[in-house]
Amino acid sequence: MSAVIEVDGLVKDFGSTRALDGLDLTVEQGQVHGFLGPNGSGKSTTIRVLLGLIKASGGSARLFGQDPWKNAVTLHRRLAYVPGDVNLWPNLTGGETIDMLGSLRGGLDPKRRQDLIDRFELDLTKKASTYSKGNRQKVALIAALATDAELFIFDEPTSGLDPLKEAVFQECVKEITGEGHTILLSSHILGQVEHLADTLTIINSGKTVESGSIEDLRRLSHETSDPNQPASLEQLFLQVYEPK
Amino acid sequence: MSRPTASPASGSPFTGTGDALRFALKRDRLLLPLCVLGLIGWVGLYVASYSGLYGTQADLNSLYQSVTGNPALVAMVGPTDGLRSLGGATAWETLPVVSVISAIFAMFVVVRHTRAEEEDGRSELLLAAGSGRLATLTATVVITAGALLLAAVGWYVVFLATGYEADSSLLLVAAILGVGLVFTGTTAICVQVTAKARTARGLVGIVIGLAYFLRALGDTGPDALAWLSPLGWAEKTKPFYDDQWWPLILPVGTTILTVAFALWLLERRDIGSGLIQPRPGPARAHPSLLHPLGFSLRVQRGSIIGWTYLLFVYGFAIGAVGNNIEGILESSTSLTAAFASASDNIVDSYFASIFTVLALMASGFAIGGVLRPHSEETHDRAALLMAGPLGKVRWALGHVLIAYVASAMMMALLGLGLGLGLGVVTGDFGELGTLVASGFAQAPAIWLTASLAVLLFGISSRASGAAWGLLVAFVVVWSIASFGDLPDWIVDLSPFSHIPAVPAVPLDATPLWIMTALSAVFTTAGMLLWRRRDLL
Ligand SMILES: Nc1ncnc2c1ncn2[C@@H]1O[C@H](COP(=O)(O)OP(=O)(O)O)[C@@H](O)[C@H]1O
Ligand SMILES: [Mg+2]
Repeated sequence: MSAVIEVDGLVKDFGSTRALDGLDLTVEQGQVHGFLGPNGSGKSTTIRVLLGLIKASGGSARLFGQDPWKNAVTLHRRLAYVPGDVNLWPNLTGGETIDMLGSLRGGLDPKRRQDLIDRFELDLTKKASTYSKGNRQKVALIAALATDAELFIFDEPTSGLDPLKEAVFQECVKEITGEGHTILLSSHILGQVEHLADTLTIINSGKTVESGSIEDLRRLSHETSDPNQPASLEQLFLQVYEPK
Repeated sequence: MSRPTASPASGSPFTGTGDALRFALKRDRLLLPLCVLGLIGWVGLYVASYSGLYGTQADLNSLYQSVTGNPALVAMVGPTDGLRSLGGATAWETLPVVSVISAIFAMFVVVRHTRAEEEDGRSELLLAAGSGRLATLTATVVITAGALLLAAVGWYVVFLATGYEADSSLLLVAAILGVGLVFTGTTAICVQVTAKARTARGLVGIVIGLAYFLRALGDTGPDALAWLSPLGWAEKTKPFYDDQWWPLILPVGTTILTVAFALWLLERRDIGSGLIQPRPGPARAHPSLLHPLGFSLRVQRGSIIGWTYLLFVYGFAIGAVGNNIEGILESSTSLTAAFASASDNIVDSYFASIFTVLALMASGFAIGGVLRPHSEETHDRAALLMAGPLGKVRWALGHVLIAYVASAMMMALLGLGLGLGLGVVTGDFGELGTLVASGFAQAPAIWLTASLAVLLFGISSRASGAAWGLLVAFVVVWSIASFGDLPDWIVDLSPFSHIPAVPAVPLDATPLWIMTALSAVFTTAGMLLWRRRDLL
């Protein structure tokens, strides 16, 4: 059985700047995969290639074994995406936006929609132009989480949420993983990744630095640092990026 | 409007104006000089073409004979009293159009640096960094006024270098500058009222249209109406034949008052929102929103309704006045073929030129419409849709087709408005069908212009904006060709030169079919390129 996401030596150039420089990423069916890296390391670019929004300059990216650039429309039926910086149509209300985005995937489950709205406490009747960043993110999150996608791609999805709603998001992710969905979670919040992810890929400057299960990676950093203390992701993270 | 005198520590609302000024100038270091040069070069072209056309007093006399008292021209351009001298003729033809363009220029610059920045959330950064809340608006007004002033100096130099009389030239450029400044202040107010840059531009556009309309009504009817319009004030300076300096008090005073009022409003409103707060809306989507095309239509709805309404009302008003023209013309012998070159019916010729002007305007709508995917892309909304199972081409083409259909519809409705206006006054609705068809016949030129925008959009997101430059070029070609002298091959480059002058001449559909086919080709090419390029 092939992996849900298979990225191999991916290269992406924007003019003369190389955003991705041979990046590898593998996500298996049913995994919650953390995708970590400093700002500008290439997380969003990787995700945009996976979504077929931009074309790879080199290497390969496969989604459910298919080329995301060529088969974008069919692949998109199987996934839901939440960007980190959600921009909405200023004249539409939150409720209208959720329904419109949901309709692209053939409609949302009404019970699930209502449940998510209650938990995220979103006022649906407000125009998007009056929403804060956090509320715009809630709209995209509800529209994605209320679908029955096989794969969820989250690109720093909670950067505008308060801690309470951040906890709601984590709950929701736990629920859907229980149902066998696959999740790619790009994040800058180590605690969130540590809490949710089974496996992890750490990238820097468009290249994969570390990859494996969280336990393996902990052990790895264990060996290289103080053997008596269980390593945290933070230590691991600092260790990877420590300028040497 | 002056530089802040308070020290930064005092936390004056003007703190940081200097920084805002430098920031905005840096951002527009290319665009602004190019626009100013374009404004100067355009007037230069005008002036050069007149000196050739009306080089002798005999030429001028014949121009005077041909246009004097023609109410259609008076309504479109202004009173013809000063046409006996080259300066007067030049002022007659340049002052109205350059004034309107200056107003539009001021509108774009002010909105770009104030409301558009705020809408995109960038002004919050400046405010958080300790900048005063009036700093950006103050800097923007200074920059806009400065750019207009530079253009005015350039025009003055052009006139002097061509040998025009110095005092009158100064008055002419000052009058145009006055219009630009008034609309700088007007735009400064409009950007306080609404939270969206697009709506703010629409508001200013309505005010400019109103000013033009009042001036036209005043010049052909009760004089007092022209005095209500900034364009009327400019005209009342009567450069080159009755130099009147005192009307300049009006734009100066209005500019100061409007800018002060805008600053006053800005101090009292919340950042990020307008004075008019959006009302709550439905919690569930209307079924029409649940289809991609229905959703795209909703995105374009506001501008479609606004433009259609404007064109219809404008058509109705012109139609009603058109009859009046006929009445006056029947008793007038001073009219010659200059205006009615292609037809016996002067009213139909007048309507034909109205159709061309408004088709050029409606192209502004069409370009905006077909470039919606581009604006969705730059506002980072497109990815949310394109990550769903919605094909890139299907989505973008939907927007393009909506814009094509809507622009044809609004031109037909313009014709309907003309016919109804004419009919209500004359009681004869016989021309209704012809006028609707004449309006519709403009559509291929609009489509062709818009399809070039689609092609540019397909090439790259950054290239898309060049479509506006293209439209400006077509406007310039039209405006110079209708009064002055341009080589045929340049005139032929504009699609609007190829639409038959209906209803004054019989409709020859051949050029319309050719342009429609070309539009289809460019649209297809644009879509193919779009499918192959990265989303921004
Ligand atoms: N459209 C683009 N044009 C040019 N450079 C880009 C573009 N998108 C991303 N980049 C560059 O690619 C690099 C990776 O960016 P990104 O994928 O957004 O990083 P991350 O999401 O990890 O913060 C950055 O250096 C960024 O400046
Ligand atoms: Mg990112």
